[in-house]
Amino acid sequence: MLRRSVIGASLAMAVAMGLAACGSSGSSGGSGDSGSGSKTLRVTLANHVWTENIKAALGDFEKQTGLKVEVTQLGESQLSDQYNVKLNAGASDIDVMMYRPLQEGKLFAKNGYLADLSKDVKANKDWDFSDFQAGPVGTTTYKGKVVGVPIITEREVLYYRKDLLAKAGLTAPPKTLDELKTAAAAVKAADPGVAGFVARTDKSAAVTQFSSFLYSFGGDFDKNGKATVNSDAAKQAYAFYGGLLKDSGPANVSTDMSWPEAMAIFTQGKAAFYTEADSLYKNATDPAKSKVADTVGFAPFPAGPAGSKPYNIPSWALGINANSKNQANAWKFIEWATSKEQTLAQQKAGVPSARTSVWANPEGTSTYPKDLADAIAASAKGGVAHDRPLVVKVSQVREVVGQPIVEAITGKDPAASADTANQAFQKFLDDEQK
Amino acid sequence: MAAVTSPTRSPSARSTSPDPAWSRWANGHRKWLFAAPAMLFVAVLIVIPLTWTIYLSLTDAEGSVRAESSFIGFKNYVDVLSDTDRFWPAVLRTVAFTGIALLFEVVLGMAIALLLWRPFRGQRWVRVAILMPLVATPVAVGMMWRLIFDPNIGMANQVLGWVGIGPQPWLAGRSTALPTTMFIDIWQWTPMVALILLAGLTSLSDEPQEAARIDGASAWQRFRHVTLPLMMPTVIVAILLRGIDALKTFDILYATKGRGGGSFHEVETLNVYAYGLSFDYNEYGVSSAVLIIFFLIIIGLMWALTARRKKEANR
Amino acid sequence: MKSPTAYRAFRVVALAVVVVSLLAPLLWMVAASFKTNVDIYDQSKALVFSPTLENYKKVLRQANYVQFIGNSLWVAFAATVLSLILGVPAAYSMSRFNMKKSALVVLMARVIPGVSLLVPWYYVFSNLRMVGGFTVLILSHMFVSLPLIVYIMMGFFDGLPLELEEAALVDGLTHIGAFRRVTLPLSAPGIATAGILSFIFSWNNFMFALVLSGADTKTLPVAIFDFVGYASIDWGGLMAAATVVTLPIMLIALFVQKYVVSGLTAGATKG
Repeated sequence: MLRRSVIGASLAMAVAMGLAACGSSGSSGGSGDSGSGSKTLRVTLANHVWTENIKAALGDFEKQTGLKVEVTQLGESQLSDQYNVKLNAGASDIDVMMYRPLQEGKLFAKNGYLADLSKDVKANKDWDFSDFQAGPVGTTTYKGKVVGVPIITEREVLYYRKDLLAKAGLTAPPKTLDELKTAAAAVKAADPGVAGFVARTDKSAAVTQFSSFLYSFGGDFDKNGKATVNSDAAKQAYAFYGGLLKDSGPANVSTDMSWPEAMAIFTQGKAAFYTEADSLYKNATDPAKSKVADTVGFAPFPAGPAGSKPYNIPSWALGINANSKNQANAWKFIEWATSKEQTLAQQKAGVPSARTSVWANPEGTSTYPKDLADAIAASAKGGVAHDRPLVVKVSQVREVVGQPIVEAITGKDPAASADTANQAFQKFLDDEQK
Repeated sequence: MAAVTSPTRSPSARSTSPDPAWSRWANGHRKWLFAAPAMLFVAVLIVIPLTWTIYLSLTDAEGSVRAESSFIGFKNYVDVLSDTDRFWPAVLRTVAFTGIALLFEVVLGMAIALLLWRPFRGQRWVRVAILMPLVATPVAVGMMWRLIFDPNIGMANQVLGWVGIGPQPWLAGRSTALPTTMFIDIWQWTPMVALILLAGLTSLSDEPQEAARIDGASAWQRFRHVTLPLMMPTVIVAILLRGIDALKTFDILYATKGRGGGSFHEVETLNVYAYGLSFDYNEYGVSSAVLIIFFLIIIGLMWALTARRKKEANR
Repeated sequence: MKSPTAYRAFRVVALAVVVVSLLAPLLWMVAASFKTNVDIYDQSKALVFSPTLENYKKVLRQANYVQFIGNSLWVAFAATVLSLILGVPAAYSMSRFNMKKSALVVLMARVIPGVSLLVPWYYVFSNLRMVGGFTVLILSHMFVSLPLIVYIMMGFFDGLPLELEEAALVDGLTHIGAFRRVTLPLSAPGIATAGILSFIFSWNNFMFALVLSGADTKTLPVAIFDFVGYASIDWGGLMAAATVVTLPIMLIALFVQKYVVSGLTAGATKG
C-alpha cells in the first residue's frame, strides 16, 4: 500500500515534469506510441548467425503480412540486461523475444514475462509442432504451458586437428576420454608450442561444456532435489576436465576463457583438441576466421565410464512478451520464422535446428562437413537435455558448480571444492523447493 | 546589448513584457523561477528511484520487482555487511582501484603539469595529444585495451617479447586483472588530472617561486615547500572530481571483463557487484541494500574531502 | 636540473614519452581497424600489413552505424540543449544568490550510482507510455548533462563581474531583462564550454543507453557490442566500430580544445 502511494505521487510529479521538460523531445522521437495491435512488430534478437539469416529474409514476411518488423539486435549479455530492465518494468515495447530457455527461461516463465502459446502451437497443422524434438520442447514448456518455440539446438562435439594427430602418430580421433588424455599428452610432447587440449575455463562459461564430461563419467548436477556435484563421478569429472587443461592445455592457461578465447586458440593452430558446442563450427571451418580451416575434423564426444553422453539442448527460443499488445501478430512472426522452409534454410546456413524433419532431410545436413554431421547424429541419440543445473537462479548456481573447475585447472584439489560447492548448491535447491 | 547603449529610454518604453504585473512577480521571484525547474527535474529523477531503492532494500524482492515480496526490515543490510565472500572483497577492490589509480593519476598528472607549466614551442600539440584519451568513449577504450592486452594476439605481450620478458596474462589473470584495469583507468584519466593541475599551476603567482629561488632553494625544494602547499586545494579538487567517477567506474570493467568481473570476481567493484545483483541475479532486495551502502560511502568520502579542501583553502 | 639546456633536453624526452604512451594505443586501435581478422591474429603483421576497408564497410553498411551515429547525435544534442535551458538560469541563480544547498541537490545527480536509477525509471516511464522513443534516453542523458552544466556555469557566473548587470539595472532594465540581454551574451564562452562538455559526456554515456535504448534509438557505445557476437569476436569490426565512435569526439576536442580544457578544469582554481 505504502509503495503504491509513493509511486502514485511520483507518477504525478513525473507527468508534470514530462510536460514541462520533454514535450519537445518526446514528440520528435518518432515512433513514440507503442501501438496496440499495431502494424509495427517489435522483435528483439541476439547477435547470432540465425538473426543475420532471418533479417535477410524479413522482406518476404513483411510482404506476406503487411506488417513492419522492427528488429533490436544486441549481444547476449546486453540482451539479458535489457530484458531484465524492460520486462521487469512491465514494458510493452517488446513483442517477440529471443531468449535462452536454459538460462533465463525458468525465471521469465516464473515471473510471468512469457505469454502462453499452448493454443497457438496447436492451431496450424502444417506448421506442425510435433515436428520439434521432445527435449528442446520440454525446456520451453513451463508447468504444462508452452511458452516458447526452440530455434537453435546445440550438442557438444570434439573439434580436432587432423594434421597434428598425424604428426603425433595417431590415425583416428579418440573414442574415449582416456584416449583423449593420452592423445593430448602425445601432441604436447611432440610440439611443446602447441597445446594438446583447450576448452572453456571461465567458471561460469565452462559449466555447460563441462556438463558432457560430468554425464559421461556417470554424474549429474542434481538428482531428485539433491545436489550431486560431490558424487564420486562428479569429483572424477572435475579432476579430469581441470587436469586435462592443466597438463595438456596452453601454457599459462587463463581461467577467464569463454568460447571466443578458447576458439581463438584453436583456430590459431595452437591446440589439437577442443570440446565445444557444434553450433560454433563455422568459426573453425571458415578460412576468413580460422587459420586451420582445412585441417579441422569433428568427432562425437568421447566416451567416459558411463559412455558418450554429451548434452543436446536448445540454446535459443522465441517467445512472446506477456505484456505485448500485439500478440497475434507476434505469433505470426514466430510461425513464419520457425516454419519448415525457414528452418531448413537456417540449418543449411549453419544453424542446427530443433525440427526432426529437417534433420531427417538429407538437404538439411548437406552443407555440413561429413564428420560433423555424423558426430551430431551420434550426439543427438544419447544426448542429455540440459547442460547446466535446471534452476531459476542459474547465474549464481553456475558460478557455484563451476568453482571446482577453476580450482582443478589451477592445480588445487577439486574434491574439497566440490564438497563446498555441493553444500552451496543444495541451499539453492532447498530455497526453490519452498 | 542594445538596451545598455541606449540610456535615454524612458521606463515605460523599455518594458519588454506585455504584462507588467507578471513581469514584476517574475523579477521578484527570479531566484526560484530560475533555479526551481532544474532542481525539480533532478529531484524527481532522484527521489523516485531513491525512495524505491530504500523500500526494496527492506524487502526480500527477487526475480522481478513486480513479484510479491515481504518486508524484512534490515535483514538485507545485516546480510550484506556480514558477507565476506562478495561484498567486502568488492569494497576492498573499489577502494584499492580508486586509491591506487588516483595516486598514480595525481603523481603522474602533477609531473605532466609541471612539464607543461612553462610555455614552449609545440605546447598546443602536446595538449591536444593529452586530451585524446580522456575524451575517448570509455567503452571503446575498454575494447581497445582488451585487444592490446589479449594474452595471445595482443600488442602488449609482443612489446614485452622485444625486451625479453615473457608473456603476461594481463586482463585474463586472476591477480593481474585488477591492476590492468587500474592501468587503463590511469591511462585514460591522468590527462584530466594533469589539465586540472596545470590550470592550478598557471593561476599561481610567481613571487613565492622567485623568492625561494633567490634564497637558493633547489628545484625539488621549491616544488616541495612552495608549489605543493599552494597547490593542495587544487589537488583536492582534482581528487574529488576524479574520485567520484573512479568509485563508480563501470564502462571499462564491463567492456573488459563482462558482468560479474571474471571467474574469481577479480575486478568486481561495488558498482559492478550491484549491477550483477540486479541484472544477472535478479536479487533486487540485496542489490538495493548494496546500492544504498555504496551511496553512503561515496557521500561520506566526498564530505570528508570537501571538509579537507575548506581547511586547506582557509589556511 | 642544474643547467637549463639539460632541463630542456629532459623535458623534450619526457614529453615525447608522455605523448607516445597516450597516443600509441589509439593509433594501434585505428591500425587494427584496417586489418583483416586473420592479420590481427598474426603477430608478424603487427606493423606491416595490407590495409583493408572491409571493416568500415561492415560497420557503416551492414551494422547500420549511420543510423546509430544519427541517434547518438540527436540524443547528445537534445540532452545538451534541454540541459542548457534548465541549467544556465539555475546556475545563474545559484551563483548570484549563493544557493549552496540547492546546488548540492543538482550536483547529487553526479554522485548517485546509476544502477539504482535504471529499473525505477523504466517502470515509471513505461507506465507513462514514454518508452519506445528517444524520450527516456534523452531524459537519462540530461541527468548526466545537467549537473555538469550547472557546475561549470556556476563557476563561470561566479567569475563574471556584477558591475555590468548593475549598470543595466541603472539603465532601467528589469533583472530578468539584464540577465537576458547582458549576462547571457557575456556568458557565451561559458555556455559553449558547458555545452561541448555535456555533448561529449552524453555521447560517451554507456550504462543508461545500454538498458534504456531500443530498436530505433540505439546509440554508438551500445552498438559497439554488436561486434561481440555469439559466433565470434570480430576484432577488425570491433576496432572499426570503436574508431567510428571515438573519432567524432576527438575531432571536436581537436577543434575546440580551449573550451574542452576550460570545462574539464572548471572549479579547479577557485578557493
